[in-house]
Amino acid sequence: MRLEAKLALSNTLSKLLLVLLGALLIPPIVERVAVSHTDEQLREKCEQVLTLIRRDGIATFVQGEQYADYNILKQEYITLTRLPAASGGALPAPLRIFDEPRQVDNEMEDFRIISRQFVSTGQRYRLEIGSSLATVELLTATLRRMALWVLVIGALVTVLSDAAFAHHLLRPLHQLIVRRLEGVHHPSAFSYEPLATTTADFQRLDSSLTDMMRLVQSAFEKEREFMSNVSHELLTPVSILQSRFENMLQDPTLGDAHLLKLVDSQKTLYRLRNTVKTLLLIANIENEQYLRDESVSVAAVLTDVVEELEDRLTQREIVLHQDLQPDYVLLQANSTLLFTLLFNLVSNAIKYNCEGGRITITGRPAVTGGYQLAVTDTGPGIAARHLPYLFDRFRRVQAGAAAPEGYGLGLPIAKTIAEFHQARLTVESTEGQGTTFTLHFSQPSRNA
Amino acid sequence: MHVLLVEDEKSLHQEVRQFLVGSQYLVDSAFTYAEASEKIFTNSYDFVLLDLGLPGGDGLDLLREARQNERQEASFIILTARGGIDDRVKGLDLGADDYLPKPFSLLELQSRMQAVMRRKFGLKRQEVSFGEGFSLDVSGRTIRHGGQDVPLTKKEFDLLHYLLLHRNRVLTRLQLGEHLWGNVLEDDSDSNYIDVHIKNLRKKLSQFAPADFIETVRGIGYSIKN
Repeated sequence: MRLEAKLALSNTLSKLLLVLLGALLIPPIVERVAVSHTDEQLREKCEQVLTLIRRDGIATFVQGEQYADYNILKQEYITLTRLPAASGGALPAPLRIFDEPRQVDNEMEDFRIISRQFVSTGQRYRLEIGSSLATVELLTATLRRMALWVLVIGALVTVLSDAAFAHHLLRPLHQLIVRRLEGVHHPSAFSYEPLATTTADFQRLDSSLTDMMRLVQSAFEKEREFMSNVSHELLTPVSILQSRFENMLQDPTLGDAHLLKLVDSQKTLYRLRNTVKTLLLIANIENEQYLRDESVSVAAVLTDVVEELEDRLTQREIVLHQDLQPDYVLLQANSTLLFTLLFNLVSNAIKYNCEGGRITITGRPAVTGGYQLAVTDTGPGIAARHLPYLFDRFRRVQAGAAAPEGYGLGLPIAKTIAEFHQARLTVESTEGQGTTFTLHFSQPSRNA
Repeated sequence: MHVLLVEDEKSLHQEVRQFLVGSQYLVDSAFTYAEASEKIFTNSYDFVLLDLGLPGGDGLDLLREARQNERQEASFIILTARGGIDDRVKGLDLGADDYLPKPFSLLELQSRMQAVMRRKFGLKRQEVSFGEGFSLDVSGRTIRHGGQDVPLTKKEFDLLHYLLLHRNRVLTRLQLGEHLWGNVLEDDSDSNYIDVHIKNLRKKLSQFAPADFIETVRGIGYSIKN
């Protein structure tokens, strides 16, 4: 998951948690606030009434046993009740606040009630002021709703603004990944333009990437130069010797014994020459010195290869069976290199086959996309312990006697060319039954 | 045939020169850019064999310069040990007739020169006769005897053609193999395949006339004698 998505997710989750917490905590709090607010109002009203009584005298309010008053909507009522003379029992608490139903105009209503006893002109009275609980609840509900809305809207706004800010903040990172890393398959494709960002971390990341790529590129450059020099330095003396041997071979005064030695030397020189050329070829491919700008049909290259090897097949009485369904056309390829690759595979299949054997070349679209081309021979096979070193040009040297005889540098070349075309080369072998080399092409292609 | 050999490496220069002189070419030598430039400007050659890395300049510039000179009709063959592969494309773009990477076989050089000549003069039917009544048609790629085609495979034809091209020389199996399978890099020398090809070639030819003109030089190779 991308960093930006992760940030947004965690942000949303934390805000959600906040909203949830609010939803849980706000109702009781609001209720308590509303109740204490109501209580406070009741107390104030109670004091006001008492003040009025003290000023105007109780008689102004209570003519008979009781005085009662309520507003039209029955949200509030006031009663003043004369109490019987104390019967010597303990006086009830002078001030109480409680919830109780009261009948008002034949209707039962729940009220929050303040009840206060007081003495006026030697007579005990009870003052009751009630506030309808429905009113209190209305207030609570309104408060609760408002608080929740504020919370939700606040959460939404901050989630969105955070996401937008994170997006803006992380944009350079995204560009780093896409432009600097994913888009660059080779140092030469790297853009050295500095990244536009004010975030110090990204600037550091960008500049270290650029520095690293400079190093890699200069290493590539040096390797290319080195290769060019090496090829000149190695191939020129080989060239001299080869020409000299050729001239000496034509010398009529040379004795037979010397001629034979000369032929032998020529053979040694060819071996040296081929090794040098092979290593140079591999190095040049790896250094991206070859173009990949042709669209090449595997079937067409295979036809050329088979034609080139026809005589060897005939001489060893090997039957070659081609089964490409369908053909595969690589859109970015180098036909010369592909020819070398298939030539090496097929010529190995001839060389390491038994007389009168069989070679099967199968091409099928791969299940996972791409294409698979398998070259199977009916030769003696390769021991499992040799398989891991087959494609390795350097390990082979160390493996020494353990390396299978004669496979030479043909397979390392094949592997390098395969990789040049974004293909993998694998081998499977059963001793006594044969060997299969498989090319797994992953390039998008046009089916022919 | 007048050839200018432009090669700064003395030993190689000497070997190539010796070979060309032995093959009846008239050889002129240049070791530096300036020397070559002057000779190309003043003389007219059939061939310029051109090394690219020269003291005093790049062989490709020399080629460009020569191609602007209308009087110079020489065919250019580039000989180079440079690793860069775009040199080949550049060279051919500039009008080189062929390109031979070092190390090259002198025999290969000679057959390339002949091929260039053939192209240049557009010989439609170039026939080479050999043995008792055989003839080889280079452009048609056929061998005939008394009006009849000798059925040869592609490689058998190439082999016979190469031997005929270098008549009276002993060609080693290695040289023949390199010619037949070209620059495909391989470890083994393919000598056995050459032997089998020669055997088949003799068998096919001897159905028309004796094929003893193809000589085996024990331990070394093969040769066609006049």
